[in-house]
Amino acid sequence: MSNESLKLEFKEHLINYLNLLDTTPEQINDDEALFGGDLGLDSIDSVELIVLLDREYGIKIKNPQEGRQILVDVNTIVAYIEANRTK
Amino acid sequence: MFVKAAKAISPQYTLDDRFLNGEFVDEVSPVYRAIEPDYSPLIPAGLLRRMGKAVRIGIGAGLPLLQEAGKVDGIILGTANGGLEDCVKFLNQIVEYDEGVLTPTNFVQSTPNAVAGQLALMSENTGYNSTHVNGSLSFENSLIDAAMLLEEKQQATILVGAIEEFSQYNYTIDKHAGRFREIPVSNSQLTKRLEPGSICGEGSSMFIVSNDATDAQVEIIDVAQVTSEDEKEVEATLIDFLIRNQVPADEVKTVALGRNGDARTDHFYTAISNRLTSIESTICFKAYCGEYRTAAAFGLYTLFQLSKHPLLDWNGNQLHFIGNYALVYNHFDGIRHGYILVKKLR
Repeated sequence: MSNESLKLEFKEHLINYLNLLDTTPEQINDDEALFGGDLGLDSIDSVELIVLLDREYGIKIKNPQEGRQILVDVNTIVAYIEANRTK
Repeated sequence: MFVKAAKAISPQYTLDDRFLNGEFVDEVSPVYRAIEPDYSPLIPAGLLRRMGKAVRIGIGAGLPLLQEAGKVDGIILGTANGGLEDCVKFLNQIVEYDEGVLTPTNFVQSTPNAVAGQLALMSENTGYNSTHVNGSLSFENSLIDAAMLLEEKQQATILVGAIEEFSQYNYTIDKHAGRFREIPVSNSQLTKRLEPGSICGEGSSMFIVSNDATDAQVEIIDVAQVTSEDEKEVEATLIDFLIRNQVPADEVKTVALGRNGDARTDHFYTAISNRLTSIESTICFKAYCGEYRTAAAFGLYTLFQLSKHPLLDWNGNQLHFIGNYALVYNHFDGIRHGYILVKKLR
């Protein structure tokens, strides 16, 4: 899967898992901060994201420090998925 | 316990004047679904996207009342099933992901006390907070809890209410159990065409109650309940209830009955009506809201509205709150019966 296709797929999962009403993948910029930005995600969403990565890509994030560096924006997450996915 | 204000989200347009003006939703449908308002002025988008329907309709009816009432001393709600859709999703995830990592949102939203908790958070209320989950008598028990709390306090105001959301999963189970009909029927025909089963509904009804009668429309005098399949026992409970409250049966001239068109258990309503020998005004509230386990709260809502102004029935005739006393009588499955005795104050 190309990087662009993976980004689109991840954004669709993001919208679905976080129930981001009225948001389309096109409206989420790749370098837009997920937390503290316009999306308005919070700590519960970070747990939902960890569940998303586990279920969809077989990635387990156990270290909170590691999570802070990964769950920054779509670019950082997709890069991590490409490097670490098990499914 | 005096009722000062009420709001409901129901399968009718009860958040504006349309229901009161007799503009009813009258659709042939297997489920009478609650009509939800635009929540954006009330609920921040970040919160709304996580809320299941039970939480949304609970907040939608309850929060405006809390905002109008100012500081309240407690929030007491009743629900048989709470956020059932989220609960089913969560349980399915446990199986689907082999008891692995689970999303927190479905779990948080599915607990029955999520509604009262969210109402407290959003209104910054740190008072008494309780949710009664007692099947089809959940609302009656919420009222009893509220009455006890008001007895303890010199002057207090409480939000009390009930919520039930439609769940496809539970609907299927209930339908298999014979509670709901195979062939849909319109609201206006529900209680006229007696057949086995009823039509499923949903909704939330909320009330501001106080031990201060100022500006109150009605007083809830007492609440009773009985679990029985014996019609004589159900009648005897009513008579004892009236005696205990020193209200002669012929002084109850207005009734809100939970008739739901189910031919198998309609006789309880007939029996209760026959015991109250001087009924002049009857409102069958489930024609408006459908059958669900805490529908009695909508019955109280209709009586509250009736105490303020006449309502129209399905034929366009005016219904009035006649006399001083009224009764909400409801049962579920012909087993669990609730009685709410109401007095009109002005």
